[in-house]
This record gives sequence, C-alpha cells and structure tokens, in this order.
Amino acid sequence: MRQLIKTFKVAFEAITKNRTRSLLTMLGIIIGVAAVIMTISAGEGATKQVQDQISGLGTNLLMIYTKTEHRGGTHVRMGKPISKRDYEILQKNSVFISKLSPLVVIGAQAIGPNGYKSTAIYGVSQEYFDILSRELSLGDYFKDEDVKTANKVCVIGETIKKELFVDLDPIGRQIRIDKIPFTIVGLLKEEGQGAMGQDQDDMIIAPYTTIQNRMYGYHRGYDMIMASSINENSIVDAKVEASELLRESHKILADEENDFDITTQVELQEITGNITGILTILLGAIASVSLLVGGIGIMNIMLVSVTERTREIGTRLAIGARESDILTQFLIEAVVLSFAGGIIGTVLGIVGNQIIYKLTNFFVPTATYSIIIGFGFAVLVGVTFGYFPARKAAKLNPIDALRYE
Amino acid sequence: MQKKVIETKNLCKVFKNGDIKVHALTNVNILIEEGEFVAIMGSSGSGKSTLLNILGCLDKPTSGDYYLDMVHINNLNKNELADIRNQKIGFIFQSYNLLSRTTALENVILPLVYDRTRRFSNPTEMAKKALSQVGLSDRIYHKTNQLSGGQQQRVAIARALVNDPALILSDEATGNLDSKASIDIADLFVQLNNKGKTILMITHEPEIAQFAKRIIYLRDGKVLTDELIINRSTKESALKDLELLA
Repeated sequence: MRQLIKTFKVAFEAITKNRTRSLLTMLGIIIGVAAVIMTISAGEGATKQVQDQISGLGTNLLMIYTKTEHRGGTHVRMGKPISKRDYEILQKNSVFISKLSPLVVIGAQAIGPNGYKSTAIYGVSQEYFDILSRELSLGDYFKDEDVKTANKVCVIGETIKKELFVDLDPIGRQIRIDKIPFTIVGLLKEEGQGAMGQDQDDMIIAPYTTIQNRMYGYHRGYDMIMASSINENSIVDAKVEASELLRESHKILADEENDFDITTQVELQEITGNITGILTILLGAIASVSLLVGGIGIMNIMLVSVTERTREIGTRLAIGARESDILTQFLIEAVVLSFAGGIIGTVLGIVGNQIIYKLTNFFVPTATYSIIIGFGFAVLVGVTFGYFPARKAAKLNPIDALRYE
Repeated sequence: MQKKVIETKNLCKVFKNGDIKVHALTNVNILIEEGEFVAIMGSSGSGKSTLLNILGCLDKPTSGDYYLDMVHINNLNKNELADIRNQKIGFIFQSYNLLSRTTALENVILPLVYDRTRRFSNPTEMAKKALSQVGLSDRIYHKTNQLSGGQQQRVAIARALVNDPALILSDEATGNLDSKASIDIADLFVQLNNKGKTILMITHEPEIAQFAKRIIYLRDGKVLTDELIINRSTKESALKDLELLA
C-alpha cells in the first residue's frame, strides 16, 4: 500500500510534467464521455417528454378497439366492430368505469370564412373532454342534447382556428365540413405537440352521432371507445370488467380469444418507454464508439511514451524498481488520464445538456446512470488500453533499456 | 579480515547468437573487499560491460558463482534482484540517466521510492545529505537541464549514494565529460572512497583509472592483470598533467 502511494506520486509527476501531451491524450476520453452523457440524456429527455404527454392523457385512461392485424401492410379488423350495443352495455353495467365516449374519426376538409384545411374530425360524446381532460379557452363544450339530437355543432383546435378564421372570434360562426355546416361552440386550449409528434390542436371535435348519421355514408361501428376508470387504482379492474362485458356482448366462447383490444394508459407508457429505451441504447452505443477511439488514443500515446522513456524505465529498473512498480506506474498514468478525462468529459456533458436546454428548450435531464456509464467506461477503457503499454514497459530488459538511444 | 563485497568464482557468460556461441566472460575470479577502489579496464569487446551487468545484478552468469555483500546472487528471482540492486548497489552511468524536467532532489530520492525495507525515515533529508556530499547543496531545486554535465553526473553520484549501498558501480562515468570535469568526478570518487565507500569503476581512460587503488585489465573475457596502483593520481597531479599536455 505504501509502495502504491509512492508509485501513484511517480505516475502523477509524469503526467503533470507532460501537460500538453496529457491533455491531448485525455481529449479522446473527454469527447467520448461528454458524447455518451449527452446522447443518453437526450434519449432520456425524449423518453420523459413522451411519458409526460402520455400521462397527460389521464392516468386512468382505457382504450377499447377492435383487434387488428397486419396483413399485407395494412391493418385489418379481425373481429366484430365495437358497436353501439357494446357502448351501452359498458355504460349500463360497468362499476369501475366512470366516463365513457365512443370515438369515430374521419378525415375531411373544413372550410371557414378565411381559409380551409384538411383535418381529422373526431366524433365523441361530451364525456370525451373529461376523459382526456381537454379544456377550452373560449366558448363551451357541446351538450348531452347535442349528442342525442345529432346537432351540427363542434369544438375546434387552435390550429384549425388559425387556418380557418385567422384573427376572427370563431365562437358562434359556421364552418363547412364536407359541405355540411357546423356551428362552432368552443375553442380548445392549446396543447402543442403530442407524444408521437402529432399536432393536438389540428382537430375538430363533434358529437359522434352527428358524424355517424350525417357524414358516414353507411353505418359502421365505432373506431374506439375511450373510457376512464373511477380512479387510478381501479384501472386494472376496469380493464378486466370491460373485457368480460365485451366478451359477453360479442358472444365469445370461453376457449376463444378476444376479438378486441383494451389498452390502458399505463401499457401505452410501457410501449413507448420500450421504443425510446431502444433509441437511447442505440444513441449511447454510437457515442461509446468515440470512447473506444479515445481509449485507442490513450494506448497509442502510452506506447509512444514507453518508447520515449525507455532509458528512464531502464534507470528505474537498474536502481531497484520491480517490474510490478513499472507496470503500476504506467497503468496508473493511463487510469489517471482516463479518470481526469472522464471528469472533464462529465462536466462538459452536463454543461452541454444545459446549453441544449437553453438553445432549444428541449429539456435534457442529465441522467445519473449516463454519468456512471460514461465515466465507468472511460476508466475501463483506460485500464484496458493502458495495460498493454504498461506491460511492455515492465518487461523491458534493463540492460537494453539503459543503452537505448 | 575485511568484508568481501564482491566475490566471483569461475564466472562465465556465453551469449548464443543462433549457432554461434560467444564467450563474453571465461572463468573470471575477482575478490573485492570493503573500502577498495577498483578500476576495470579493457578494450571494447573485452567483456567489461558484460561483467558490469552481472556484478550490477542486471544479468546472470551462465556458470560460476557471484556473491555480492556475502549474498549468493545466482539463485535470486527478478524481484529479489531488483531489491538487491536497490539496497546494495549504487549505479552511475555514462549518460547520467537523470529524469528530465525533474529537480536534482527528486532524482536523488528516486532509489528510496523503490525501497521496501523502510530503512530510511526521511528520504528528503537523506537526499539532501547525499547532494551535499557531492558538493551540490546549492543546486537542490535546480532542474536537471539547468545543470552542467559535471553537475548532472554529481547528481547521479548522489543518487548512487543515497541508499547507502555496499558497492558503487560506475560505468564510464567520465565518458561524456571534458578532462577537467572528469578529474573532478574522479577526485570525488577518491573522496568518497576515503570515507569508506567501496567503488568499482569501469573506464577506458587510463588517466582516470589511475585514481583508483587497483586496476583489473580484461582481455577477451578473461582477467589479464590485477594489480595495485603504486603511483596513484591526485587531483593536483592530474591537473598538472593536463596543463603540460596543453
């Protein structure tokens, strides 16, 4: 131990006496560690943003839809459509579901006084707004009667307002969707980009009955039923219950599989978490390559250093250094270099994250584990690539080393 | 009877170069006692360096026995040899072999860094003492590149002294120095020897060898002559000779 401390001093002196070279050697590690920390943190930031938005949907959200399968590149419905009957059964019998809304979506062109836009028209019940906790900035939601009587009223998003009305107050005005006039009753509060990058304000929301009766040429089922459980803890119960009710409604035998899917908000979070997780790993792996290159840089410089200091090594051996002393000395040099590089790289990475945050407003939380990975990998690289030159130094024959020119 | 510092018995060293065997040393028997000052001379190829490497525990003989300070060297492993070099030998090299960009003091401390016996409680004090012994008390914190050749060699000598070795081994210590600096170094050896240090120096300069008490001539790996010097040089006589030559 005492010997190790002394060797540590020797190694440290060697580093400080070759400042420029030490710094250049560290550069590879510095960049590598900073890159690892920044990419992993960016991945983490993206994950967090997606997760936040999904949980923004409401933590007790359930989505019930017909099972689809990939067939020849398109989604094909595999079971009975989710029907009005399903909706009514759930509404009447469910204990754990508090709010329920059918969802039918069509694409259509909307024409306003100052412009037009192709957009998605969501047909829902008024409970939809509660389920997704979407608030209004102007006007009012449509009422239960509007749904019952299939009134031609709608709530529009901010993007639609800008395209169709520009500066006009849209409340009470009419727009035409596929030639049918709709009266605007409310304007949604701006939401921004969604979890998947879609514009959550580029939508028109109308009673589902209106969409079904006046815009579908034929009657089909709902695209989805959206529901929320009575509270967060009952979401699993709600899912099980809904599943049982629908199996009954669809007359599915005990040994048959569901012909519908129920996805909860929690599951959605897991799926997107997996996707962004893979992305993070991928980014981190790419960044690790630069660390590897940094490690090779260390090996390169250390090898040069060993050759350059052959006589010094010979002298040390002659005056009584053991092979292990020389080995540790060079190993410590490599480790200290990579360690210092790791520290500087970590600082740079954290600062870099802050700069990205300042410039793009894209919040990048520096993930603790990215520091551990970046730093740990840097030291590992230092030891691995430092060992070979250190061994070369230790194995030098003192007689030859002393005469080396 | 004096303590035996070096004792070799039928020391042989054979280098194999493919099928060719080179007999670098053949049956070398040398006995050097404590307090001696011996010069080893010989033309190049006479086996001087090979002998020095073996005596300095950097190399092992092919056959024969070598005792350094009563320790049988033949059977020691690498680490034990390193420790022997550290504790019993002080090396002085032709090209000083000091660490660059390092102070005289740090250079002199170096052998103590590798000392595992904990003999020395205060390495810095030891090093300062060694530096004052070679007359460099005022150069302690000078970096090696700020010193003249003669001063650098003095630092190297201080480094060889610092661990209080049984034997000081000098390999052409004056080879890189001018005549006057060489005489100074040789005179320093004499002073150290007068204080009881056992010194073995290899040189091919007869006027430097003349400072020793005893000269061993090697030729073709064998001891040619081994005799005491009757008319030893002193610093004064050597400087006078130098003036006469000029």
